[in-house]
Amino acid sequence: MTENVILTDKQKQDLEKVLPMWKIIASQFMQHKMAVVGMVVICFFLLIALLAPVIASVTGLNPERQNPLNRYKPVMTVAELPQDQREDRIMALENKNQDSVQAFRAEVISRGFVTPVREEDALYDLAFQDPTETLEKLNQLDSPIAKEMATLVRDFKTTHILGTDELGRDVFIRLVYGARVSMGVGIMVALASALVGLLIGSLAGFYGGVVDTILMRLTDSLLSLPIIPVLIVLAAIDLNKIPLFSQLVGSQNESIFKLFFVLLVFSWMTTALLVRGSVLSLREREFILAAKTLGARDSTIILRHMFPNVIAPLLVSVTLGVGESILFEAVLSFLGLGIQPPTPSWGNMLFNAQELISEAPLLAFTPGFLIFLVTISFNYLGDGLQDAIDPKAIRR
Amino acid sequence: MTTFITRRLIQTMVVIFLLSYFCFYLMTLMPGDPVELMIQSNPKITSEDITRLRELYGLDQPAYKRYFSWVAPLVQGDLGYSRTYRVPVTELMGPKLWNTFILSFFALSLSILVSIPLGVISALRAGSKLDYFINFIAFAGISVPSFWLALILIMTFAVFFQLLPAGGTYTIGTDNAGIFEQILDRGKYLILPTISLAYLQIGRFVRFTRSAMLEAMRNDYIRTGKAKGLPRAQVVWKHGFRNALIPLIALLALSFSSLFSGALITETVFAYQGVGKLVYDSIMANDFNVAMISFMISVSMVLIMNLVADILYGVADPRISFQ
Repeated sequence: MTENVILTDKQKQDLEKVLPMWKIIASQFMQHKMAVVGMVVICFFLLIALLAPVIASVTGLNPERQNPLNRYKPVMTVAELPQDQREDRIMALENKNQDSVQAFRAEVISRGFVTPVREEDALYDLAFQDPTETLEKLNQLDSPIAKEMATLVRDFKTTHILGTDELGRDVFIRLVYGARVSMGVGIMVALASALVGLLIGSLAGFYGGVVDTILMRLTDSLLSLPIIPVLIVLAAIDLNKIPLFSQLVGSQNESIFKLFFVLLVFSWMTTALLVRGSVLSLREREFILAAKTLGARDSTIILRHMFPNVIAPLLVSVTLGVGESILFEAVLSFLGLGIQPPTPSWGNMLFNAQELISEAPLLAFTPGFLIFLVTISFNYLGDGLQDAIDPKAIRR
Repeated sequence: MTTFITRRLIQTMVVIFLLSYFCFYLMTLMPGDPVELMIQSNPKITSEDITRLRELYGLDQPAYKRYFSWVAPLVQGDLGYSRTYRVPVTELMGPKLWNTFILSFFALSLSILVSIPLGVISALRAGSKLDYFINFIAFAGISVPSFWLALILIMTFAVFFQLLPAGGTYTIGTDNAGIFEQILDRGKYLILPTISLAYLQIGRFVRFTRSAMLEAMRNDYIRTGKAKGLPRAQVVWKHGFRNALIPLIALLALSFSSLFSGALITETVFAYQGVGKLVYDSIMANDFNVAMISFMISVSMVLIMNLVADILYGVADPRISFQ
């Protein structure tokens, strides 16, 4: 007995409609729950990394401001600057703006913010009040000196959500900026190594013969090396001794550039092997033969006809590569050879924290946990993409 | 077979040679050569002295000439002298190599013992809750920063519970104790480093075992075995697992390099006196002889282990021809 189901026009249309490739992939990707969670986590941290300056200006925190009086403070500490320190800062402010300070004092008194015994004490009295109130009062004025004083007063009382580190710097804002450095280095290295791998893999696969042998020997020998010792040797060298390098890269970001190159040298091999494999099989396909017969140049065949077919697996290897690069960056920074302080990265925050793990355990826990969280998210994302793209993958 | 082995052996030798030159060149790029260190410790040194010293030690020569004057005594067995430890490098290397060997051996054994059953179970129950859980453990193993894991282990077991020592190789002063007590003492210092080193390998091994096992269980002979009524254990272990074992050997071969990389970090965090820590310390202290030798020995060992595993791979799977 068969039941006749009468379909409405809309249902018929839905059934007949061909789903585009990306929609199939997206729906398969959505089935991998952990990968979706990973993607959300990555987006969250990317957003934080991009918005780091905004977060800094909203909270009024500075990742490099040291506060030696409040080192190793626990979570949710409100640190107030002692009075003598406030006096020093106000005195410096007055000395700096000697011509405008007189008028400013008069304005502060006339508004009734303070009632000093002597007129010279006006700013000091204002500074000794509760910093939040003072800040409100200062915001009502709009002379440049008032703004300058407001930035000073903001430092008088600081809230440290995650406490402070060994130099009294705010851990929260350093983690935010660390996300910038760690994820930035990870993503840049992964993208760059994908490009290098794409180039070397396609050259080796397309031309074969001697080119292939040389490039693959190089890849194999690099793959068989224990990476960390080699990275340490590379990271310890002084790049300024290599001619030309110092002219190419300014000394300001030297440690980041150096780390980038060092990681790049050791991360392109898996991509190269992958691309070479795909190109080898693509080379025998009819459409490549057709392109050759039509007289297309080698570069056209590789760029126009082969690359679009390699992009999907490449995307997976880039995603997995980001996680790996973040880990390597963290290891090198942890050993003191990566990103150099004061630039915060999650790895070098751990380097400093390991000295006092019994007294400030959270200081060592949080950066490492964030590294772990981001890396595992990238790995799950890569896994999900692989399952979604590969038609042979085992469905969950 | 013999030609394959000789060819691979020659290849490995060439790689080691090129690497030693490359490494030597990199060492010349490190800040501070021996003469610069002398300048720092002697404020009265004149510029004539500096040129004389550079000539005396051959530091004015180009890198390749210096390389050959370094490598010539090396081939004859003279490894040089350590600047920081003030002993010949040969004396320094022996016990450290042994320590690293012990650590790596235990870590590798532990990771194999844990990950193979986990991988097989998750492959047999693919898609279940247990599979998801094991997968998560494996992913965590790949993603966890090894030094952070080590720090967490120290924090819990050494600082909080005070059960195990936070770092070191053995308790000082136990040299005269009985052999059994010495082993027990060493064991106590080995537990945390072994766990932290093994967990890194476990992640990769579990994932690999799982996919190899899934692949093997999809073969036709598995269905045949089930159809003719073989007991499940025999199907799984004799027909499935034995075929999954072949790619596992390949993974084992590749794991030596990552094992050594991991050992370097683990040894550094736990202050365990092995070759990895020696590489790191000597590079940090500008101890060039030790840095070069320990680096070369460790890299050569990894390369030779790779070679051995390659040959074993062929022995385990007769379908692979040595071409």
